[in-house]
Amino acid sequence: MSRIGVFVCHCGLNIAKTVRVSELAEFAATLPDVVVAKDYKFMCSTPGQEMIANDIKEHRLDRVIVTACSPLMHEQTFRKVLAASGLNQYLLSIVNIREQVSWVTHDIDEGTAKAKALLNGAVRRARLLAPLTSRVIDVNSDVLVVGGGIAGIQAALELANTGKKVYLVEKNSTIGGHMAQFDKTFPTLDCSACILTPKMDSVLQHKNIQLMTSCEVSEVKGFVGNFDITIRQKARYVDHTKCNACLACTEKCPGKGVSEWDEGLVKRKAIYIPFPQAVPQKPVIDRDACTFFKKGKCRLCEKVCEQKAIDFEQQDTFTTVKVGAVIVATGYDLMDTRSLIQYGYGKYPGVYNALEVERLFNSAGPTGGKVTLRDGKEPQAIAILHCIGSRDKNNYEHCSRVCCMYSLKFAHLFKEKTSADVYQFYIDMRAAGKGYEEFYNRIIEEDVKFIRGKGARVAQSADEPDRLVVEAEDTITGKFIKLPVDMVVLSPAIIPRGDAKDVARLFNLSTDKYGFFMERHPKLAPLSTMSEGVFIAGVCQSPKDIPDTVAQAYGAAAEALTIVVKDKLELEATTAMVNPASCCACQNCVRVCPYGAPFFNETKGVSEINEALCKGCGLCASVCPPSAIIARHFTNDQVLAEMEGLLEF
Amino acid sequence: MAISFEQIEQHLKTEALKLLESGKVILVLAYGRGYDANHPMPYVAKHPSDVDNIVFNEYCTANLARYLTRYPRRTKIAIAVKAADSRAVVQLIQEDKVCREDLVVLGIPVYGMKNFKTGEVIDSKTTGGLYNPVLYDILLGEEVHGQPVSSPYDVLAAYEAMDKEERWAFWQRELGRCIRCYACRKACPMCYCDPCFIDQNKPKWGEKSPESPGNLMYHLTRFHHLAGRCIDCGECSRACPVDIPLYLFHKKVAKDCEEMFGQAAGMSIGDKPVLVNFRVDDSDKILE
Amino acid sequence: MSFEPKILGIACNWCTYTGADLAGTTRLQYPQNIRVVRVMCSSRINPSFIFRAFQLGADGVLIGGCHPGDCHYNTGNLYARRRLAVTKKILEFSGMEPGRFRVEWISASEGNRFAEVVREFTEQIRDLGPQTKFKISQ
Repeated sequence: MSRIGVFVCHCGLNIAKTVRVSELAEFAATLPDVVVAKDYKFMCSTPGQEMIANDIKEHRLDRVIVTACSPLMHEQTFRKVLAASGLNQYLLSIVNIREQVSWVTHDIDEGTAKAKALLNGAVRRARLLAPLTSRVIDVNSDVLVVGGGIAGIQAALELANTGKKVYLVEKNSTIGGHMAQFDKTFPTLDCSACILTPKMDSVLQHKNIQLMTSCEVSEVKGFVGNFDITIRQKARYVDHTKCNACLACTEKCPGKGVSEWDEGLVKRKAIYIPFPQAVPQKPVIDRDACTFFKKGKCRLCEKVCEQKAIDFEQQDTFTTVKVGAVIVATGYDLMDTRSLIQYGYGKYPGVYNALEVERLFNSAGPTGGKVTLRDGKEPQAIAILHCIGSRDKNNYEHCSRVCCMYSLKFAHLFKEKTSADVYQFYIDMRAAGKGYEEFYNRIIEEDVKFIRGKGARVAQSADEPDRLVVEAEDTITGKFIKLPVDMVVLSPAIIPRGDAKDVARLFNLSTDKYGFFMERHPKLAPLSTMSEGVFIAGVCQSPKDIPDTVAQAYGAAAEALTIVVKDKLELEATTAMVNPASCCACQNCVRVCPYGAPFFNETKGVSEINEALCKGCGLCASVCPPSAIIARHFTNDQVLAEMEGLLEF
Repeated sequence: MAISFEQIEQHLKTEALKLLESGKVILVLAYGRGYDANHPMPYVAKHPSDVDNIVFNEYCTANLARYLTRYPRRTKIAIAVKAADSRAVVQLIQEDKVCREDLVVLGIPVYGMKNFKTGEVIDSKTTGGLYNPVLYDILLGEEVHGQPVSSPYDVLAAYEAMDKEERWAFWQRELGRCIRCYACRKACPMCYCDPCFIDQNKPKWGEKSPESPGNLMYHLTRFHHLAGRCIDCGECSRACPVDIPLYLFHKKVAKDCEEMFGQAAGMSIGDKPVLVNFRVDDSDKILE
Repeated sequence: MSFEPKILGIACNWCTYTGADLAGTTRLQYPQNIRVVRVMCSSRINPSFIFRAFQLGADGVLIGGCHPGDCHYNTGNLYARRRLAVTKKILEFSGMEPGRFRVEWISASEGNRFAEVVREFTEQIRDLGPQTKFKISQ
């Protein structure tokens, strides 16, 4: 026998207009085990909450049913009322008669009838509810940040400044990410390196940050508050503890590799630092480019190194760190536009992608900041093609968000550095950001030509074989145009990193249809993920500009802090458990769980569930043939009872 | 080529003796004599001297894989299997209920097995097209070739052709006769839950008395539990004292699973049971 | 009195239940025949729930989950898709009208889709008439 209190909310007229609330309360009083049933104007108001609290005491209630709005709205509010009244918060049941009754009908008879059925179900279920207690665990106060671009750097610095220890893992040999490749940043046109490199340096100097470059996460075990992360330190063939960064080795090295930093526009040495302001300022050997690794002799770098830091025998090593929370900020790739053969990227030397152009502008870039074509000539006419592969049903439907603005920036820089005519081929201009519309207007004034029409094709010019022709439909004039140019800049779709799927698998993140990491809620939990304790920031979540990325990094740091600032953590109570007496050892639960929570106990011959890993989805319970698994708060009994109640009338 | 049951029996005895004498296994799951020659029973030979009691004839239809899960894990067992029985062994390995390395599978290539109640040859109803075990260590005789190969699902045609009212009436009548003796689940090699869901009181999934609603709940849920796992040996139907043709429903579900998921139960030890597996590109059409 | 079908809905918390809430927030009208049970994930739905719902007198059962690929538990609905497909086949071979059981992927942003599916399904069940095969008579 339980003692149930039913509290029917009018929600002003929101509910009362299409549900006869007092009739509902009278009906509730006739249901089994209901000892008190009341209706009130606003149950969530302070007097409403007090009414429930008083009745819990006065009527010695052991179950509370609030018949009001969706549980997604006020379940937490009413749980707190129970907790404050000394009742276990899981002994609450919410009946959703607003979103799913009063708001979806005009007929008060229908509304009242449905509300009665729902309430009847809730009463049946409430009788079977069990008090649940959350497990409390110790929290490790360190944080792992994956990815050393501007998002990872900012998040690491914020956390480190609060006194928390941060492991910053970067797979390349330097931090800085894509931002380090940019010349200027829109719309302010301040120099990217000037604002980024001081931050990179702070990371290196910070006593609370352990910078781990040339590293990748190879295994993730544990759960929120207690992750065990295995990190692979890739062999650099240079002992960084000995290296004094004299860089004599890089001068002598005869090997040639492709410069990633310069987007392959030039070669670099086989032993190299990626760029002058790289952090750390210490070289690594590119095994594929190294003469010794390829041919078995050379070792010039070893000969010139006074510190004896070169170590050709170096192997990958693995370390495990313990952290309480993780921030994933792994960034993006540009779509490889070679697959879009109509644009001739990779075929015509005059076709560039956006990152290559960033390097052409940069004074530390392959041309020393002069805009010249691959043959050394200055272009006379330049076309910038927007939305290449993005906003495109055949490739990526999403908008890459930053291309309109960086294309304007490019136009400005082209105008500054060359005398070329600059054309923008765009679908429509998107300039929604602080100062962006103003920047757009400024560029319009700079004699840049805007053609509203997506570039359809780039071809070799028939008349002048060393020039290109851009074909497009100008959708304003309706005319088909063919524009001869010397240089074409593609703005490729921004897409998830090639290894984003592996990262998702490691940290158990969901991905959207493109492979960007999914946030827990698009509006209200944009940095959390379904993996408790794992947060995301920056473009790995979706394309965004630097201000948004940095804002997310601050946010993710704050989110991570909410976990690691505590000594103890309460875990979700609505987890699953195994009744060992009924377990048939089929191990279906072990096979299906997306979180690896169930495991087979060989000694006992039954499955068990690691509740710290369980997210309470209930999948295991439904694949358990003998019904040995109990999905707490959604047990078979409770669901069946609710169904019975719903279908009774 | 006619099947010589005497020869199979002889092979079985020889191999059983070798295995028990060498200590490679501690027991051999085989058949022994029942109350008459037409009613052989499952028999466990544990000592070399037990081997004489082993028999094999056309009535040895029982699926001995049923008994594998009764022994503690890691018990070294030799088991005699016909085609369908071998699929049960494979399925149990997939489900990690037995370990491949603990088993010596004695494969029996055979046709012409008979229902001991009716004397009817059951090849077309159960093994349909499959006469040789899919998994064995030792084959007791030569592989069977040249026998008629039919789809195991041919027998369903008449029932699939019924309209839904007829089919409801048919199952209403058949399942309505169930006396809830649970011989079906006792005979089934894949029914190893203890307790069975229907015996649970919390939750109580269905009525336990032998009346239609409880019978329906028990059987439909059992069909679901065996979906993608039933290896079509037909033992449930032969064990049934009131002759409910349960095998028809199991076959239908097996056919649907094979069509939807492209995998038949118990064919390869590397497979994962279809209902604890998925493919991202499973079609939503299967829900239509 | 005309036939008013009783329809049981089972909806996952993250997508379809939230989608149903959105239908309410945007004041979309749909028939009141559906009564929704909330579960955390469509993969929680035990096939026996559905058999039982029909025994308890449901004229139709509608399951709602996240779109494949969008499951908040990564892969729950992909298992559910297979298990519920088999459930449907079993119902059909037993003689149940195929139209009484339906699975729909409805996201949290598809309030109108929820309302539309409920309208359509309610009409369909109305046309099929009362479900008498599984229903346990009192």
